[in-house]
Amino acid sequence: MKTIWPLALLTFKDGLRYRILYGILVFAFFLMFFALLISGLFMRDILKIILDICLSAVSLGGLLIPIFLSINLLSGDIEHKTIYTILARPISRTQYILGKFLGLVLLTSSVMIILTGATMLTVWGATFTFAPHFLSTLSVGSILISCFTALLGVLVLQSTVFLWSSVTTSSFLATLLTLATYLIGQTVEDIVRFMSLKGTGAQISPGIQKTVHAVMYVFPNLAAFDLKKYAAYGIDIPAAEVEMLMLYSITYVSVALILAVLVFQKRDLA
Amino acid sequence: MSIISCIGVNKSYQKDFLHRTKKKAVDALSFQVDKGEVFGIVGPNGAGKSTLLKILMGFISSDSGQAFVAGLPAGSVKGRQHLGYLPENPSLYSHLSIRDHLLFGCRVEGLRRSDAEKKINRVLHTVDLEYAAKMPIKKYSKGMTQRAALAYALLLEPEILILDEPMSGLDPLGRQMVVDVVHEYQSRGTTILFCSHILADVERICTRIGIMNRGRLAAVTTPGELAASSLSDLQPAATPLESFFLETIRSHSL
Repeated sequence: MKTIWPLALLTFKDGLRYRILYGILVFAFFLMFFALLISGLFMRDILKIILDICLSAVSLGGLLIPIFLSINLLSGDIEHKTIYTILARPISRTQYILGKFLGLVLLTSSVMIILTGATMLTVWGATFTFAPHFLSTLSVGSILISCFTALLGVLVLQSTVFLWSSVTTSSFLATLLTLATYLIGQTVEDIVRFMSLKGTGAQISPGIQKTVHAVMYVFPNLAAFDLKKYAAYGIDIPAAEVEMLMLYSITYVSVALILAVLVFQKRDLA
Repeated sequence: MSIISCIGVNKSYQKDFLHRTKKKAVDALSFQVDKGEVFGIVGPNGAGKSTLLKILMGFISSDSGQAFVAGLPAGSVKGRQHLGYLPENPSLYSHLSIRDHLLFGCRVEGLRRSDAEKKINRVLHTVDLEYAAKMPIKKYSKGMTQRAALAYALLLEPEILILDEPMSGLDPLGRQMVVDVVHEYQSRGTTILFCSHILADVERICTRIGIMNRGRLAAVTTPGELAASSLSDLQPAATPLESFFLETIRSHSL
């Protein structure tokens, strides 16, 4: 930890200086303000509209970090040789990966906490704009938990950034693979559910079915972390579901980081 | 007593995507650097100098052979505790200041804040960057970046300094500063491994000079041997090291 923590702080500080981070925040704040403006156009479900848009902004703000910032901070380290600055000190490659990951966890968590705060402010603003019965389903607990699970999903995607950045030699390829992981992670559950339906009329070969199942186990199920619907309708989120998501994310992140370390240790940093 | 040693080190790079052809960057290289020595390596572009230094730092692994730094396998984390490294093209974090970098270096070593501040101020004074300590690196000139990277290498007063082209991008004042730093550290007993294209600087600084060509150490000499030789008589416009360098490269390339 003696070497991991300084590296995490350096990564956090470096990340804070990227303008894209502020672009993400401004975009998310704009979406939230927009939610407050347009929600009045809906006769019912005002709170649902506000929370749908605000929580989407929280997720989107978090997701843009691994895709645009983390890759810059990780693959960029190797491309621009700034990694020499780190590894010239007594830091092992395992500590490097863990320190960078911890730094990005700090950065992502900070951004998502700010966006969660902005969501709560937007909801608070709505109490002045709309009559109380429009906001009767408000559940602060569900909002906070849904933001927390969104953060877990982002951290899972973050860990795949580390894996792809270790395997590939260019940040462009790592970005493409991360985007592919995100798309697969968001859709694979629906595809598997569709395949298991009987009487859909679709003939799916056993080979494709096996492939989809393999993909489901290899790629993270990111759709599972999306609990916006609970918060939007003010339904309490079952504790068992949150515990399962925590366990899943810890397991997935650990496996992805171990693989990243194994690949990275063998890699020439020429 | 040798503090850096290479025994039959080989390293090849793939030339094409399918790994069918390889280029030998370091070819059965063996040499030793004794404690307190300033060992200079000179050679033409592509001779394998930077590859050798990266192997010693553990950034790349050798295909075969053994390399040791401070009695430990090259690249080991413990070995790097004794090292200060200046890369060929210093790449510091452009959004951060040199102070941020130096503070990071001190934190990794677990230094207390007050001790860290002393070390940071001392090393910034050495490279004359006190006035720009809090400025982001991206606002630095090339020479300032080079000095900042040198400060990062010198921060913890390492036992071994590995300097890859330390004069690159420096004006005459900056070059003199590097010469003074090398002399100061040499007088403290620091071992210095030094790669450069500028033969005059190598001749001024080093106690022993190796000439590298095509991945091999083609010759090793000392400033004393060069001064005693009559090589410069053959090319009056050249310094003894320049003459020796050209003769060695020509004969080695045949």
